[in-house]
Amino acid sequence: MSSSAPLLDIQNLQTHFGTIDGVVRAVEGVSFSINAGETVAVVGESGCGKSVTAMSILRLIATPPGKIAGKILFKGTNLLELSEPEMQAIRGNDISMIFQEPMTSLNPVLTVGRQIGETVMLHEGLSAKDAEQRAIEMLTLVGIPAPARRVREYPHQLSGGMRQRVMIAMALACSPQLLVADEPTTALDVTIQAQILELMRDLKTRVGAAIMLITHDLGVVAEMAQRVVVMYAGRKVEEGSVEEIFLNPLHPYTRGLMGSMPKLGSSLHETGRSKLTEIQGQVPSLRKPIIGCAFAGRCPNVTDVCRQMAPAIEEKAPKHLVACHYAPRAAAAA
Amino acid sequence: MFAYTVRRVIATIPVMGIVALFVFSLLYIAPGDPAAIIAGDQATPEDVERIRASLGLDRPFIVRFLEWLFRVLQGDLGVSIFTNLPVSHMIKQRLEPTFSLMLLTLTFALSCAIPMGVVAAWKHGTWIDRFVMLFAVLGFSVPVFVVGYVLAYTFALQLDWFPVQGYTPLSNGIGGWVSNLTLPAVALGSAFIALIARITRATMLEVLNQDYVRTAKAKGVGQRAILFVHALKNAAVPIITIVGIGFAGLIGGAVVTESVFAIPGVGRLVVDAILRRDYPVIQGVVLMFSFTYVIVNLIVDLLYTVFDPRIRY
Repeated sequence: MSSSAPLLDIQNLQTHFGTIDGVVRAVEGVSFSINAGETVAVVGESGCGKSVTAMSILRLIATPPGKIAGKILFKGTNLLELSEPEMQAIRGNDISMIFQEPMTSLNPVLTVGRQIGETVMLHEGLSAKDAEQRAIEMLTLVGIPAPARRVREYPHQLSGGMRQRVMIAMALACSPQLLVADEPTTALDVTIQAQILELMRDLKTRVGAAIMLITHDLGVVAEMAQRVVVMYAGRKVEEGSVEEIFLNPLHPYTRGLMGSMPKLGSSLHETGRSKLTEIQGQVPSLRKPIIGCAFAGRCPNVTDVCRQMAPAIEEKAPKHLVACHYAPRAAAAA
Repeated sequence: MFAYTVRRVIATIPVMGIVALFVFSLLYIAPGDPAAIIAGDQATPEDVERIRASLGLDRPFIVRFLEWLFRVLQGDLGVSIFTNLPVSHMIKQRLEPTFSLMLLTLTFALSCAIPMGVVAAWKHGTWIDRFVMLFAVLGFSVPVFVVGYVLAYTFALQLDWFPVQGYTPLSNGIGGWVSNLTLPAVALGSAFIALIARITRATMLEVLNQDYVRTAKAKGVGQRAILFVHALKNAAVPIITIVGIGFAGLIGGAVVTESVFAIPGVGRLVVDAILRRDYPVIQGVVLMFSFTYVIVNLIVDLLYTVFDPRIRY
């Protein structure tokens, strides 16, 4: 495998769920890649399919009712073709995941040490004693005081921030190459959020893992990511470097997201442009196929073309992909 | 923890006191006059009166209750009206078969019901799940004696795999003990299995939807460990609660089962005593069963802390 091949390459991912009222197309033809050591943010509002994309990568979607199609190449191997035992060997070892809810994502009846140690016992064949030692090391690494005592404690004895640190310790225990973080800071206090982000950035450089960061917080994106994938209604609508996305958003939805983010120094009472803008309208139902552009119903610049024809995703500026009929093409683009 | 245990043991005293009062009142509530029965059909009213006085039945309720309670506390459950043997002695003779039956039933029921419930929850909606639920409905709705007779007919009379009835003490070898108790334990256990399997399935269904189960899967934990370690330990509290409550049904069922399979246990003793209106024996057995039930539920309460670290006393 050449060194330039991406660590993770998602091609035309489709995750559908069969329900009583029909098929819900949670993810519809999403493609993007993540290089080794890179942090890619996946942003979008609730229900846009970002978490489902993450869960599809680790095949955590129950099938049925779920159905995953497309290709998920991890170091050249299509994860969707692996057997369940082969997948188990990858989960928590090569690819691990941090979840949104630290309060409910840890098992309440097993000690913290047991939960961290289990990963290394499974993947590295460590004895229970060595696993506990590793757990203590990991707790030290994520900055939990008195790790030798904490390792014997249960999740309910820890605060939310501490629990998320434990989740991170658990995810990093086997030094994964890819860390999928599904809104890791959403459930935390703002001060704790900053600490957790700082910790993730610090550990990323130490472990050398690539991060797929799922969030709806653009502040987090700016702080953590190198590249951004914007998702809307199960589709990728824009992709580019952080600078490109923030300074030159081309898709009307991305512009809307930027406009709905409060900026430091602006006041809600000021008149004119510094007011928070909202994106009008509703996300389309994912139960029926969407004809035309998924964003057409809410787009300020919508035309008849948008309503009838889905825009292809095109490179409108170097390494800046957009799915919009009217996104201006930069002169330098191929 | 120790302080809690002591507190809980002390708290059983008033419970047992109320049970004792109720058990003693049986004499007054139940129809039939033991003095008249003992005196026989030919007795004059004077004879009946004399026997009543000799039994102490003519004195006030509260006096007799306190006297009785005082004797019970010293381990004296009185003397059987019919055999003239001490009740405590009669119960002691019959304890082994009954406790053997319960122990075997409990072991058998738990080792069947829990895997059944877990698998049904894991495969919910499939034919495995439906089969388990069908069994649960059947096991619960078919009475113990019907199951007992069907089992005895099929596996003892027709196939000759097990003895039809009777009991072999444990001191005569474990083989005979198990062989004699297998059919009774299966018969008595069927309703218990149904109850526990149902609760296990319902609780596991809830637990398997929890975020931490997804976390375990994301770590690469195998399906079996997810079910029996990560999920089952979280489902343990409702399951052991229902085991404790269901124990009452087990006691009632044991009485019937002992009659069906002619096991010389406490259940048979109490059935015979009821037919003869042998009140001291009835009182002794009911008191013993109540005490067992209270103890079992005390153990259940203490087990909560073993399975769920969030519960602390």
